[in-house]
Amino acid sequence: MKPLTPTLCLTLALAATPLLAADSSHIDHRTTDYRQQWHTDIRAGYQKLAAQGQALAQQSETYCRAPSANGLEQTKQAWLEAFLAWQKVRFVDFGPVEQDNRAWQFQFWPDPKNLVARKASYLIKDEAPVTAEKISESGVAAQGFPMAEYLLYDQAFSESEQALPADRTCKLLLAVTSHIADNSKTLARDWDDFRSAYVGNEQYTDATIRAAMAGLEILEERRLAAPMGLRGNGKRSVYSADAWRSESSLIAADASVQGLKQYFLPAFSGLLRDRNQAALTEDIEQQFDEVLANFPDLDTPMAPLLADDDAFRSLQSLYIDVTRLAALVNDRAAVALGVVRGFNSSDGD
Amino acid sequence: MPEMTRRKLIKTALAGSAVITLSGCSALPGRAGNNGPQQYAGAIGLPGGRFAVGAVSPEGNLLWQSPVDTRCHSGCNRPGTAEVLFFERRPGWSFYVFNSKIGERLHHIKAAAGEHFVGHGVFSPDGRYLYATASRFDAGEGLVAVYDSQHNYQRVNTLELHGTGPHQLTLHPDGQTLVVAVGGILTHPDYDRIKLNLSTMEPALVMMNRHSGKILHRFQPSHHQLSTRHVDVAPDGALYAAYQYQGPAHHLPPLVARYSKGRYEEIHFGESVQRELGNYIASIVAHPENNLVAVASPIGGTALIFDGRTGKVVEKAALADCAGVEALAGGDFLVSSGRGKLVRMGKGQPAREIASMAVHWDHHLV
Repeated sequence: MKPLTPTLCLTLALAATPLLAADSSHIDHRTTDYRQQWHTDIRAGYQKLAAQGQALAQQSETYCRAPSANGLEQTKQAWLEAFLAWQKVRFVDFGPVEQDNRAWQFQFWPDPKNLVARKASYLIKDEAPVTAEKISESGVAAQGFPMAEYLLYDQAFSESEQALPADRTCKLLLAVTSHIADNSKTLARDWDDFRSAYVGNEQYTDATIRAAMAGLEILEERRLAAPMGLRGNGKRSVYSADAWRSESSLIAADASVQGLKQYFLPAFSGLLRDRNQAALTEDIEQQFDEVLANFPDLDTPMAPLLADDDAFRSLQSLYIDVTRLAALVNDRAAVALGVVRGFNSSDGD
Repeated sequence: MPEMTRRKLIKTALAGSAVITLSGCSALPGRAGNNGPQQYAGAIGLPGGRFAVGAVSPEGNLLWQSPVDTRCHSGCNRPGTAEVLFFERRPGWSFYVFNSKIGERLHHIKAAAGEHFVGHGVFSPDGRYLYATASRFDAGEGLVAVYDSQHNYQRVNTLELHGTGPHQLTLHPDGQTLVVAVGGILTHPDYDRIKLNLSTMEPALVMMNRHSGKILHRFQPSHHQLSTRHVDVAPDGALYAAYQYQGPAHHLPPLVARYSKGRYEEIHFGESVQRELGNYIASIVAHPENNLVAVASPIGGTALIFDGRTGKVVEKAALADCAGVEALAGGDFLVSSGRGKLVRMGKGQPAREIASMAVHWDHHLV
């Protein structure tokens, strides 16, 4: 090793980059107007979730009072509509949804240990009455859409003696769907109460953009790349996707992209244009449409697409479109706005 | 690195730091405290989702990089030896022991049944006993697991913390007292990293005798959601704790506490600085040669140095995804970031980038 001389150090000192404000993860200018719009847009999504959550609980009650094959189909449809309403606002990971792990209560996922099935089996065998309190103290795996999905759709379970409309299973379905209804109603109310804190604090601009970035990354990496076998052991497996029991993994992905387009993109585009990023804004808006153009052809179960190489190509084309969208938002727009979703900052320890 | 060259290098760098034109020199002085090796080790994230542990020289060159199975968090140097340990990220099912000179993996020790590590450990002054924070996860009980490094890291003792979610621990200069940050957050490996008890958290800063396990002091933050996650201790015995607030982002509670001369006090840096810390501190280091303390916040993208006696901020830098902090000989600090940067900062000196690498530096430097 060469000994360091003052000359060398001086050269390096000139070459060293001082840390500029551009490296900051904060957006410095006032962005109140955009937060007002985001609040209003996301509010619409939460209101829709509250309404669909309520409808799901009511339909479950109707079905369990007078069970029929048709009633079961209607309950499945109500589940799907509420679940898709959740998918549209699923990217929001700050504010009231953080309280009491509400996001996890709505959707406990990923579930590699199949806790949802284990919890269901425990709750059905247990002798104690299935009450709201029982669900509240049973942990997030018992409290949301995946638990209701298990009761309504799981193939092995629906062929068992406990299958709906068995009395105890119906009670569990009612308790879970009313937990979802209560949670979605409270969330919508709390979001309204959150307005002045949200609009009045600059850091929520960063938080909102990071939430959308995280939503896109989860969609790309965990909801698509993982089941497609592009990560980990390289094997395609529908069990790595979410909502595989109801075969709604892809229609849920569609809803999540629609949700970002409806509730995130309008204010985001405004903010980007305000920062002289008109061309990038157009690229992003166009790419949202490119992703959504893969549907409704892809509103189908994911499993057959994973099993057949020809069919798999349609999934690959969706994946490529999502990857492009994530690159535009998470890399180019985030850099232009100085928003960072980092290796350490997204870890939490 | 040959001993002579290293000494010459440190001497040159130390001399350099006193001269303005040299303040941006890309060579760093050695680490402060003189005990450890003249290098800095950290967990690393690599492109493609692979992970490693690596060490960097005072010039900012990567000395070695050793692959590991899963993401690691922090570790510790074993005094009197050329060994450095790293713990897997929470829930950590093992820790690795490396030869700190060449990165060769010497041991890979698994957590005891029913327990997982949480990312941190510290050695007894003689380098024999390893104290590692851990969680007995079904019961949600925090503990300090004790290992004997002279017997292939055999588990020899368990010290109960009577609290949930311990994280970093360090050793008091008295050589007998462990200082443990107990975050108060209940998690369970079946439930990813979900925080299961946010409304009933009981975070604490705990002082414990490392032989008997007796808890000598237990300090509680001013709010139950101020998760006490990181700690350091100055040579005079002053303790510093850093919090991660679990409440709403627009609240701006204090994030640093000091225990000195029988008083536990929290330090608030003022609203605008607190906002830049994003309610989250990833590392806190008290400099062994002066009264300065440095913290880094990846969420706020801010590293700052404050005077430990007065609580006044003396230097601050915007540094995206910064998390790791180490004290440098001469009074400055080294800060690492998830974007591969190593930055030197000190009192009266603007932050200077001394290296930028194509890796993610993960959380802590040791």
